[in-house]
Formats: sequence, C-alpha cells, structure tokens
Amino acid sequence: MEDAGTAPRILTAKQAGLVGCTECGRVHAPGVARCTRCGTRLASRDTASLQRVWAWLFAGLVVYVPANLYPMLRTTLLGKTTESTIFGGVVDLMHHGSYGVAAIVFVASIVIPVSKFIAIGYLALSVQRRVQMSAHKRHLLYEAVEFIGRWSMIDVFVVAILSSLVQLDFAASINPGIAAVSFALSVAFTMISALSFDSRLIWDVDVGVNENE
Amino acid sequence: MSDPRPAEMEIEGPKRSIWRNLSLTWLIPIAALAITLLIAWQSWAERGARIEITFENAAGIVPGETALRFRDVNIGLVEDVTFANDLSSVRIGARIDNIVAESLPSDAEFWVVRPEVSASGISGLSTVLSGVYIEAAFEPQEGAEATRFVGRDTAPLVRPGMRGTRIVLRAPDGAMLSAGAPIFHQGIEVGRIETPRLLESGNGVIADAFIEAPHDRRVTTSTRFWDTSGFNVNFGPQGLDLSVGSVAALIRGGIAFDTVVSGGNPVPSRYVFDLFDDETAARDSVFSQSIDNAVDLVVEFDESVRGLEAGAPVTYRGLKIGAVNALGAFIDDVSGEQRVKLRASISIDPRALGLEDDTAAEAEIITFLSESVQDGLRARLASQGLFSQSLMVELVTIPEAEPAALGIFDTEAPVLPSVESNVPDVAATAEGLFQRIDDLPVEELMEQAIATLRSVESFAGDPDLRAVPGSVSGLLDEARGLIGSEETQALPGELNATVTALREIVEDLREAGTAEKLAAALDGATAATDSVSSVATEITAATEEVPALIEEMRDLVAKANALQLEAFVDRATALADSADRLIASDATQALPGEINATVAELRGVAEDLRAADAIGRLMSTLESASAAADSVTGVAMDLSGATEQVPALVDDLRRLVETANDLPLEAFIEQATNLVASADRLVDSDQTRALPGALTRMLDEARSALEELREGGVVENTNATLASARDAAAAIEEAAESLPSLSAQIQSMVGEAELALQGYGENSRFNRETLSALREVQSAAEALNKLARSIERNPNSLLFGR
Repeated sequence: MEDAGTAPRILTAKQAGLVGCTECGRVHAPGVARCTRCGTRLASRDTASLQRVWAWLFAGLVVYVPANLYPMLRTTLLGKTTESTIFGGVVDLMHHGSYGVAAIVFVASIVIPVSKFIAIGYLALSVQRRVQMSAHKRHLLYEAVEFIGRWSMIDVFVVAILSSLVQLDFAASINPGIAAVSFALSVAFTMISALSFDSRLIWDVDVGVNENE
Repeated sequence: MSDPRPAEMEIEGPKRSIWRNLSLTWLIPIAALAITLLIAWQSWAERGARIEITFENAAGIVPGETALRFRDVNIGLVEDVTFANDLSSVRIGARIDNIVAESLPSDAEFWVVRPEVSASGISGLSTVLSGVYIEAAFEPQEGAEATRFVGRDTAPLVRPGMRGTRIVLRAPDGAMLSAGAPIFHQGIEVGRIETPRLLESGNGVIADAFIEAPHDRRVTTSTRFWDTSGFNVNFGPQGLDLSVGSVAALIRGGIAFDTVVSGGNPVPSRYVFDLFDDETAARDSVFSQSIDNAVDLVVEFDESVRGLEAGAPVTYRGLKIGAVNALGAFIDDVSGEQRVKLRASISIDPRALGLEDDTAAEAEIITFLSESVQDGLRARLASQGLFSQSLMVELVTIPEAEPAALGIFDTEAPVLPSVESNVPDVAATAEGLFQRIDDLPVEELMEQAIATLRSVESFAGDPDLRAVPGSVSGLLDEARGLIGSEETQALPGELNATVTALREIVEDLREAGTAEKLAAALDGATAATDSVSSVATEITAATEEVPALIEEMRDLVAKANALQLEAFVDRATALADSADRLIASDATQALPGEINATVAELRGVAEDLRAADAIGRLMSTLESASAAADSVTGVAMDLSGATEQVPALVDDLRRLVETANDLPLEAFIEQATNLVASADRLVDSDQTRALPGALTRMLDEARSALEELREGGVVENTNATLASARDAAAAIEEAAESLPSLSAQIQSMVGEAELALQGYGENSRFNRETLSALREVQSAAEALNKLARSIERNPNSLLFGR
C-alpha cells in the first residue's frame, strides 16, 4: 500500500503522470504495458474494480441468508438429534448462561459479517461519489475491513474441528449443516469483494472533490 | 456585448453499452442466488405435508424431536404441540413425508409408543433413550390425503393390514379378562383381547378379541372359549383336577379355545362368543346350551333322586349324550294306591349319537330308543364319582329286565322305563372299615414290642455276654495251637494213605460182587426191622400203662431228690476235673502220634490183607451174616409174640417200682457216693496217671504186634480168623434162636433203665442245669454271632480291640 501520509494534499501517481505497479510498487511512465520489474500488467486505475466489488458483495449477501436460516450444527447426543442455527445457538448459549461465548459467537458470526457488508458497500458508494467521505476515513475503513475479514472464519473453524473430533457414533456426534458451507462461502465472498477493491480509487475521489471545490 | 458564443458542448462519446462494461464477476452472485434458491425450494418441497393428530395428552412428545414412524421408518417429525380450542385435548402438528401423506387414509391410527413392562414382556425399550415416538398404522390408499386424525391411547390390537378375524367375547365378569391377554389354541398364542368393557345393561363384560390368520379358520360357531388364567384346582366327581396355563397366562390371564363338536360354520366378524370359567364348563356347555333339536324324554323313578339335579349328565355306555332338564314329582294312582313318583325330564343331543342336527333326527332317536327298550334299554340312577353324592342318569341295557315299552304320548314326551339303581353306599362301607381299624389292639401290640425290646436291651447289656468273645478268642488260640502241632498236621497224610488203601480194598470188594451179598443181608435186616416195628407197636400199646408207671416213678424221683445228690455231684465234678488233668497230661498229648503210627500199621495190614485172598473169605462171611440176619428176623417174630406179654411186664415193672420206692435209696446213694469218691481217688492216683503211658506202651506193643503179624503168616491167620468169623456167625445164628429169653431180660433191663431215666425227667436238677447250660451256650453263640458281625462291619476292631 502506498503510504497514506499525513499531509492534506497528497500527490498521487496519476496526478504525477505516472503508473505505479500494484505488486512491487515500482513507478513507471505511462505507456508501459507491463512492470519492468515484476511483469505485472500495469493500469493507472482498474475500471472494473467496483463492479467486481459489488458482484462479490451480492454473492456474499445471497449465501449469508441460508447461512442464518439453515442449521449450522447437527448434534446427535444419545440418539437425540438437535439442529441449531447460528442465532438459535446464540440464544441457547444465553439461556445456559454462557454469555461470554454467546457474545463471541454473536460478534464473530453476525456482527462482523453484517458490518463487513455495510462497510464494503459504503466504501464502494463513497468511491462512486454517492456518499461524501474524506479519503483518510475511507482508507481507515478499508484497512479495518481488510483486517477483520480473516477473523470471520472462526465459526467455520469451530464447526470443522468439532465435526472431525466428535464422532462417537451413538453417544455423541456433530455434523456440519448447510449453513456452515453457506457461511464459509459468505465470508469468502466478502473477502474476495474486499480484495477486489482497487484502493487507489480512494484517493482519486478525494482529489476530484477537491478539484470541484 | 460579446458575441454569442455557442455553449460549450460537452460531447461525450457514445456511451458504451452497460452490458459491454459488465464484468463477468456478476455471474458469481447470480450463481449463488440460483443455488440458494434451489436449496430453499428443495427444503420447502421436502418439508412434507402437515397433519394434525389429536391426543388425550402429550406425554413425552417434544416438538421438533418426536418422530413419526410407520413400519419403524421415520416418516415425519412433530412440529408443534398445542391445545384444542376448548383445552380438552392436545393437538399435535406434524410434518410427514409427502410420499406417505399422499396415501394416508382418514382411518390411519396413531399412538404414542412408550417403554412398557408387562407380564407379556417388555416393549418399546428403544424409546427409553431416544424418547417416545408416534407410531402410525394404516393401509396405504392412493390419493387419500387426510390431514386430521384422532390418536389412540394404546397400541391397537389389530393394526390395519393384519389378517384375521375379530370376535367379541362375553363374560359374566371381567376378572378373568385383562387387556392384551393372549388367546391360546392348543397351547400356542393365536390372538389377543382388547380392553374389556361393561355391557350397557351392566350385567356382563365384553371384550374385543382378534384371532390372527390363519388360526382364525379354527374359530367356528361350535368353538368354545374358556379362561385359562391362573391355575384351576377342581375336586369334583372325576377326582382332583389341576390345570395350569403358561406363566404369562398365570400372571396376566389368558383365554383358550377349541372346537368341541364337529360341524360349525365360519363366523363373521364381531361374532359374539361366551367365555366359560374353565375347559370343562366350556365343553359341557355344548350339551347344556346348544342342543338345538334336543329330543326330550321323561324318566320316572320310584326311589329317591337325592343328588340328581338339573344339568346332570345323561350317559349312554359312558358317553354323555344329554342332560337332565328338570326334576319334578307327581302322584301316581294307576295301581289303585297313590304313590309319589319322581319325574326327570332329560334331553338327548342328536349330534352326540352321530345324527344330523335337524328335525328328522328326533324321529330317528325315538325309533331307536323304542327298539332298544324292547331289547332291555332302561334308565337308572348312577353315581357320578367314587365319593360323590351327585347322581346322573345312565342308559343301560339290561336283557333280563321286565318287559316294558317306550311310553309314547301325544302331548307329553316319551317315557323311558327305569330300573332300580345300584348306587353303593360308600359312606357306610368306609365307616365299617374305619371301625375295624379302630378295633385293632394297637396299644397292646406296642406294649409287647416295647417289653421285647427292653428284654433284648438288658440281654445285650449283660457283662457275661460281653466277656464271652474274649473266652472264645482264647479257646480259638488253643485250638489253633493243637491243630498246628506237627502230629495233627501229619494226620491227614496218613489218613489219606489209609483211605487210598481202603479204596483199593473196596474196589476189590466190588469186583468180587460183595454188593449183591450185602443187599441180600440188608433185605434180611429189613425183614428184621419190620418185625421190630411190630414189636414197637406192641410196646406202644403197653405204654398206655406208662402214665401210672410214671406217677410211681415220680414218687421215686421225689425221694431221690431228697437224697444228698449234691455231694455226689461234687464228687462227680472232682472226677471230671481229674479226668481233665489226665487228658491234659503229656502222655495223652502224645497219643495222636501213637495213633498215627498205629494207623500206618493198619494201612500196612490192609495192604497185606488185600494181597491175600481176604475178599473171598469176606464174601463167605457176608453170606453167613445174611443167614444170621434171617435168624434175627425169626427172632424178631418171636419177639413180637413176646411183646404181647408186655402189659404184664409193665405191671411187673410197676410193682418193681413200688418196691424200689420202698428201697433204702439213701444208703444206696451214700454207697454210690463212696464209689465215686473211690473212683476219684483211683483216677487221681499215680497209677491212673501212668495209664496213658501204659496205653502208649500198649499201642507200641500193638504196633509191634502188627509188625509181627505182617512179618508172620498174617494171611494164613486171617484166613483162619475169617473162618472163625464164619463159625461165629453160625454161632450167632444159633444164639439168635435163644433171643426170646434174652429179650425178656432186655425188657426187664429197659424197665430199670426207664426208672433211672425218670430221675432225669422234668423239673429235675439235671434238667434245669442242662437247660441253663444250653441257654448259656445259646447266649455264647449269640455273642459269637455278634462278634462276627462286628468284625465283619469293622475288621479294625481285631487290631484295636474295639
């Protein structure tokens, strides 16, 4: 990533008439098709970036619906099978008094994905100038989404570990439900969505705003 | 003023089509959406149809967990449990598989399966862990999509689809009916009954029952059901009867059925059967209840019918063919005087006689009976059992019965003639038996037995008796010592050799035809014996006088008893002691050896004899003996004549006894005592003791004499001797002729001997002593016997002394 800097006015590569490599950071003069250092295709701005962001975001949203409606875990205990959805699990945990665990599950499985959806959507909108936002705040938001994305997989990990460990036939067994796959897909889609975002757009919009003024 | 200038045109290139700019990435959310929708549709489609079942209560049913099963396969899940509108029942909403829901008929049955432990077994065990489930049972019916059902409290007796026959059992009370109780046919379970319920009228209980195919073919209109629950003890006319069903039936009750009579039609569903208390009642019911075309008859009895009651069987040759319907009395004045007669009306089952159960049978039976009555068929009362007072009517054929006919009337039933019964009075006989037993003298017998046992005990406890084994043991030791001596051991060899020599002589004798001669001699002896026998007869006659004689003698004995015999006996004892010492002396002990040697000599002599022609001589001697025997016969005949004078002799004897009574016996006894004392002294004297030695010497001499005999012309001497013997036999012959006078003398001698013997008669000291001696010997023998037994039981006692 480019150094965000602290000065209110930042000279971007585009404004300088140069093209930066997104992989190695080398700056080239326009007209060079590929990075002379690492061979990456060079483009001043990825014009299709936002489309990809929106597409992955929608895909993540779509699969997030069954992830919440279908059971996440199918627990068989002494012949009795119980299926629990994500939110149902949280409620059960609260009923059992495990507020801490309930909070963790709630945050990891519901708060973070939902806020990611919102954050990515907001970011994309702000780049398209539908929403006013300073470049610096956009950058912070982008960093947060990038950072938090990997932690959303906690649920999936828990389910995967439990399913592989607790297989005691009749006594107790835990199997993943449809929601586990859906949730994993949802997290993956949102992460791809975040990755698809061309972060250089953040600064362009800011520049544009300043120019209009 | 400025020139108007055209507005600056913002000319943009033709906008690129939005589709052309569209990224391929949009395919991903579209695909995700499609997949999600597909999943959603699938789960919605698989959700199944909702049905509602109404239950009395929802024990154990958990929404979302409790499954619905059909043929033990999960077909759905309970979704929710709610109340009906008026809270009177529970409504359970469930989702079931579409494939099942499509064929679910409205009469499908649902019930909750719970763990259940009963006498018939344990069911629903799997539900202990997994929780209850709802079982469905129905006959699939295409296109019938019923959704509302009423659940059952218990599992249905018959699940839809089971084949069999449903019947109804009717019983006076429900004590023997319990829900689920098995129904047996010849010991195997073929069905079950449902919960019994009261009849609306209240005077009975009915229960639905189901007999499974193919056993339901056994159920016909002539089938009877009876209760087999528990065990049944019946002490009836047929004796003790105990019947026990299976254990399950014992606890839970059970019902059995059987087809009692042949015939019977298949039953329709819900045919009502009566339930009987036991098998006997069920079998009897065929006769008591269902004689459709019974032939009614009347039997009149003169005697008492105590014990006969309605329902009592009517038997023909032991087979029950009917029952007594009613009993009554009427006054019979046919014979001028009025008599009360008892009338029993009986019904006879045509089927029992192998006839069809229709109206034609009655005429057949009447015809049969009237013919039989002419042949002697009569009704009579008979006892139902050995100890029973119950009576039954028996149809018997009595050929010698008075002629009678079946009385056939228009209005009344035909009258069957009866005869006097021969019911035995068992009670009286039994009483007599007990009286006899009572009269037995059991107490006396017991006392005798006790006294006997006491005597035996005291006898066995006698110290003398216990001492006997020791004495016997010593005696045996001495005897063993004697037998073990060398001389005694040597005896058998010598004897053996002697016997061998004798056998050789005997063989010679046989060759010489001695036996024939001997036979002739024996014939003579037989003739003599006959003569003696006749003499004995005479003597018998004479003995009639003997009692008087005995009286006299008793007097004599009384006197003799008064004599001082004790001293005499003492002397005699001393004499015996001396004799004992004499026998114990060394010389006497040496005798066996001497005898041994003598026997050896004898053997030598015998051998010499054989060498010589002794046999021929012997034969001639035997001939002489035969002649002598003939003479004896003649003498015996003479004797017979002589015995005729015995009575006179007896008279003489009596006189003699009287004289003897007068004799001064005391003095005689004293003298006898003196004599015995002298004898004692004599025996005790040294000379007498020396006698064995002298005897030994004498034997030595005899032996040497025999040796000389052998060496000398023994054979010649023997021949001479035999000749002399023959002469002697001749002399005997002569002497025998003079026997009559001899016999007279013998008679007198016998008289004296009798006199003496009388002294040893009853109650004499001698007799008592002898008796006591014999008793001691007996007790000794018993002790010996006891010893032998104890040794036999416990041989160690010989070693350990116990």
